[in-house]
Amino acid sequence: MKIQFRIRRYNPNDRNAPEPYYQAYTVEVALGMTVLEALLKISEEQDSTLSFRKSCRSAICGSCAMTVNGFSRLACNLQVLPEFQKMGGMTIEPLANHRAVKDLVVDMTPFWNKMEKVNPFLMPTEKTASNAVSAEDEELIDQSQKCIMCACCNAECNALEIDERFVAPAALAKAWRFVGDVREGHGVKRLERLSEEHGMWDCVRCVHCTQYCPKGVAPLKQIERLRSAAMKAGILDNPGAKHVEAMAESVEKFGRLDEAAMTFKTLGFLKSLGKIPLGIRMELHGKMPHPYIVPQIEGIEEVREIYREAAAREKEKKKE
Amino acid sequence: MGTGLKYAYYPGCVSQHMTKETNETTRKVAAKLGIELHDMPKASCCGAGLLTDYDYPLYLAINARIFAEAEAMGMDILTICSTCLMVMSTANRDLKADPKLLAETNEVLAKSGLKYSGKVNVKQLLWVLAADYGLENLKKQVVKPLSWLKAAPFYGCHSLRPSDALGFDDPEKPWSLDAAIEALGAEPVQYRGKTKCCGFQVDIVAEKTAEKMTGKRLLEGKERGANCFVTPCPFCHINLDNYQGLAEKALDTKIGMPVFHFSQLVGLALGMTPQELGLSRHLVSPEKIIR
Repeated sequence: MKIQFRIRRYNPNDRNAPEPYYQAYTVEVALGMTVLEALLKISEEQDSTLSFRKSCRSAICGSCAMTVNGFSRLACNLQVLPEFQKMGGMTIEPLANHRAVKDLVVDMTPFWNKMEKVNPFLMPTEKTASNAVSAEDEELIDQSQKCIMCACCNAECNALEIDERFVAPAALAKAWRFVGDVREGHGVKRLERLSEEHGMWDCVRCVHCTQYCPKGVAPLKQIERLRSAAMKAGILDNPGAKHVEAMAESVEKFGRLDEAAMTFKTLGFLKSLGKIPLGIRMELHGKMPHPYIVPQIEGIEEVREIYREAAAREKEKKKE
Repeated sequence: MGTGLKYAYYPGCVSQHMTKETNETTRKVAAKLGIELHDMPKASCCGAGLLTDYDYPLYLAINARIFAEAEAMGMDILTICSTCLMVMSTANRDLKADPKLLAETNEVLAKSGLKYSGKVNVKQLLWVLAADYGLENLKKQVVKPLSWLKAAPFYGCHSLRPSDALGFDDPEKPWSLDAAIEALGAEPVQYRGKTKCCGFQVDIVAEKTAEKMTGKRLLEGKERGANCFVTPCPFCHINLDNYQGLAEKALDTKIGMPVFHFSQLVGLALGMTPQELGLSRHLVSPEKIIR
């Protein structure tokens, strides 16, 4: 079957066309052919100037990540025909959230910088170095070890799209790889750093990272684990942790979300005052949440019993 | 007219207060369409993702308690909040996939004499109309086709992802909201941001990120010719409507985009009045596009 590929071309050194543009190539696609195979065919038979990264062709090296029909994919891991049939076209672009260098090749420097910032190596102390790793211990960090650094998650990250300083999912998943390791000796220090501005609490929970990771790393799950670990380590003096604490309190007290208290407890008194102008506008439209008139759900005692039981079990686990 | 459709109704916390217009509209729309909504007086907050951060086993148990109530009612859950949908579906996926986890969670519930056996499904209003009720049937109920509306569908992340937990729409090529807009006689506008995030989760934690994100989505739809936005999620509605002014400030531009809850768009096509739909509660008035 002949399929047209629409590929974003870009070569800032080409004096005749220094701006990005789209170029069409028609490829004879066989059953089972991957996007990478199609690109190689174009490069070999039609246009040797087309640039893209590739190496292993089997979803291990992480080199060939790119945007296919609007979403981040490994080109070697995606078959053309089913993708074409589903999306009705074939548009190939460089990874989003990264600067294109030439055609489908992006500058990975910010990706590596973010990775470096979380110290992607084990930092044991004398005491922790010899801790034995049980099968259950390994299971907790198993997903995070599967990362092949392809940057699909960072390219999809909606928070990174807006805030380029955000630490972003790849480095966060990597951070959990070490924080969650029983041999690690500086976990609390790491969690303190991750709790700073542009850190783990800035994740918008858009779930794109987990959806588009080709290796099942589930970065959002690792971010949730980091956040839980930070709170259990008592790192609570930041808006992210306060927000979660306010929610946990509200559910235990009323069984519901207390919207007014959430803002107040997260931001504190002074910063909450800054919300007054918007609050007045919202009040005029009947939208202002009023604090402390939240009615309890029926059977709130059951919810509180669940809290008590969960806490008791957590304590039990710690003793082990 | 009875359709035989009945659900355990879970509006979610925020639609019982800040966005109660969608709760009230949903009840009226369901009554008009012959869909029975049965209240869940014991249901607690699902945790909105924050309880997941707090303590995973606690999050599972709190959600299993909600499922146990629906299971006792013999019904699936219908919510009108995409975040509740995602949070509940994710817990449900984990509990159904892992018998050991379900057993441990039930041990926590047992202290209150409760049990969840994994039989409940979680749906949202959009899906119920798109599949269980059927858009062809919905079309037949339309008394006022919304032919003058160019509506930007804003699915919101939590209606689409993670798809292995939600299991309904296609995250890359979603159809349900687009098709529903068409069934109501309006034109769905295609724009890049339709499957992306509104930023709600960081509204008070990283407010600049949230404001810019909200603004970017609205501008993308506006540039493609939308005269309104439609979302099935109350949190998305809060950002797109309540906080549109903040987004305008953050991006230093005027947007002025009216935003409907999905329930309101259905109600409008079914002939309900702006008063019945609670449109005066919106901060960006949809008055100029109501006929």
